Amino acid sequence: MARTENDIAIVGFAQGDMVRRSQKTETEMMLPVVAEAIASVGLTKSDIGFTVSGSCDYLSGQAFSFVSNVDAYGAWPPINESHVEMDGAWALYEAFVRLMQGDIDTALAAGVGKNSNSDASTLYTIEMDPYYLTPLGADPWSLAALQARALLDSGKATERDFAEVVSRNRANAKSNPKAQVSGDFDIDELLAADYIRNPLRRHDLPPTTDGCAAIILARGKKAYDLCERPAWITGIDHRIEAHLPTMRADITRSVSTALAAAGAGVKNGPIDVAEIYAPFSFQELIIREALELDASTEINPSGGALATNPVMVSGLIRMGEAANQIIKNGKRRTLAHATSGPCLQQNLVAVLEGDE
Amino acid sequence: MPDVVRESVFNLQFPFTRSLGSTLSTFFSALAQGQIIGVRTAGRVIAPPLEYDPDTAADSGTDYVKVGPKGTVSTWTWVPEPTHLHTVKHPFAFAFITLDGADTPMIHVVDAVSESAMAPGMRVEATFKPAEERVGRIDDIVAFVPASDPSPSAGAGDSYVAPAENDITMLDSFCDLTYVDNTSASTLLWMESMLKGQIIGQVCPMCNRTYVGPRNMCCVDAIPLDESMIVSVPDRGVVTNFTIITPVQYPGQTETEPFVRVSILLEGTDAVMAQQSVLEIPASEVRVGMHVEAVWAPEAERNVDDIGNRGWGSGGDCILGWRPTGQPDEPAENVVERMM
Repeated sequence: MARTENDIAIVGFAQGDMVRRSQKTETEMMLPVVAEAIASVGLTKSDIGFTVSGSCDYLSGQAFSFVSNVDAYGAWPPINESHVEMDGAWALYEAFVRLMQGDIDTALAAGVGKNSNSDASTLYTIEMDPYYLTPLGADPWSLAALQARALLDSGKATERDFAEVVSRNRANAKSNPKAQVSGDFDIDELLAADYIRNPLRRHDLPPTTDGCAAIILARGKKAYDLCERPAWITGIDHRIEAHLPTMRADITRSVSTALAAAGAGVKNGPIDVAEIYAPFSFQELIIREALELDASTEINPSGGALATNPVMVSGLIRMGEAANQIIKNGKRRTLAHATSGPCLQQNLVAVLEGDE
Repeated sequence: MPDVVRESVFNLQFPFTRSLGSTLSTFFSALAQGQIIGVRTAGRVIAPPLEYDPDTAADSGTDYVKVGPKGTVSTWTWVPEPTHLHTVKHPFAFAFITLDGADTPMIHVVDAVSESAMAPGMRVEATFKPAEERVGRIDDIVAFVPASDPSPSAGAGDSYVAPAENDITMLDSFCDLTYVDNTSASTLLWMESMLKGQIIGQVCPMCNRTYVGPRNMCCVDAIPLDESMIVSVPDRGVVTNFTIITPVQYPGQTETEPFVRVSILLEGTDAVMAQQSVLEIPASEVRVGMHVEAVWAPEAERNVDDIGNRGWGSGGDCILGWRPTGQPDEPAENVVERMM
């Protein structure tokens, strides 16, 4: 299909080191990654029409950290800039919408997270319902485990299936130079480990990762100027469910993912590769069911979030990895998924296509 | 001599108070009386109640219903090592519990002997704090425990008539998080210079701006800077801006009288030191254009405990403040339009 000036593509992607503990601040982590993304398409900072990032002050424990992070853009003279307190995938969504206005033809979306400053088992209690959940110290590991137990009891999956997801993702991660946790893991050995939150074991949880990623978007002809084979975003949608997991009719299904997939047009053709952001192993099974992918789709060749999980960046990395499958590996049609909130509350699905 | 601080632990603690609105006020006022309630809306009972039906966004109304105190576990997990934020300090379960008389589950603690006692379909019942300790919070229910008698709760599903005015309309909360930040390379350089009684800057080779306090980056050109670009800068400069703060006695505020904070442009530099204090003169005499010099703490008393990442130009407990030099003021137009 011929592209028009209304079509928007991912043309460049950069990700920094993904490590358990960075010695850098978020701003210092961003500087080389933003520069690399811009340079990768032959532009300079003054060429970028719109810049938006996703990050969260509570991760690093620094009020207005996103304001300091603007230093990484060289924002003088002043630039057109925005920020979302969400994963960079939602920053990319905002950039996509901004480009649709038609007055600019390039945008940069970044995500950054210094996760190692805080403790995931306590920090995220404050994102829960403040009346009914936060006072109990309801933590994301426990909430995920409640969802995992429900999935087991539904008969749709077993603990072995969870371990299989872990083993496959971390084996895939061996070929990802940015992966933090990779290797060959024996499923029986994984299943011999103790529970952190029954039925979840340590390996069912994502690693803690400090990291940053950035993506360059371009509109219309500009995309071909910057990239030989742009990854056109032919559909992108995100949907949210009730905040209290107890108010969802069936916590073993992801209705929001299914709706976002329909909105993004997933079924308009086969998907060659899907990059799924499932922070907990079993959630990949729930997302795959909602996406209704068939056996021909390759899942998470990057290793996904079980290999590397910089919160606020992981969803954007899925976008970049899915785009590189088109830009660099010649794939025809790929999918990127991002999630946010307890028990897969909010989900974003994008379909990317290369020219025939 | 004190050393640099490579890793700093800080606790983010703050109290806050939320208004509950009519539905949650009714719920928490009843809870403090030992009664759990739900709300009947669109043909089902939501418990604990919400002001709205999340499926339709319709107002849930005021058709309140008594639920529990017994209920049935659907899904559960086990917390073998509770954190300081959990309400039970020994291993326990979290569970979805559908209270008798309710159609939706609630999440709460199940205090069971071991995880082997947990199973879907398990009957549990609420145990409350003593009446005098209840404050109208969800942890007025200490936990659910295995029900001694699995039979249905008496009175569950009966109407609950809310009082004309609720006893409890607010919820007090306390945020308590711990962070461990590691000091970045550029901040370590700054700490070392402060302990030595020297102020250093970093010069961008592209725009030639001199930053006070190395950042290892130029925030105008977005390029990395390195140690070869470090320069010494004078501990003398000019006040470019000031504000007089009348202190509010929030937790941690040690000032009691109005005090001044100034921005200072050091000689030969392009980025001000912000939030500096002025010594020896009253706040009312501070002026833009005033020449000042640093007053250093004695070497043995210097420490950098309060200097952290992104606090460029913070003198910690090394620079006590700045005093006027007595030189004639700089014309104000020479010191405007400087970077923070």
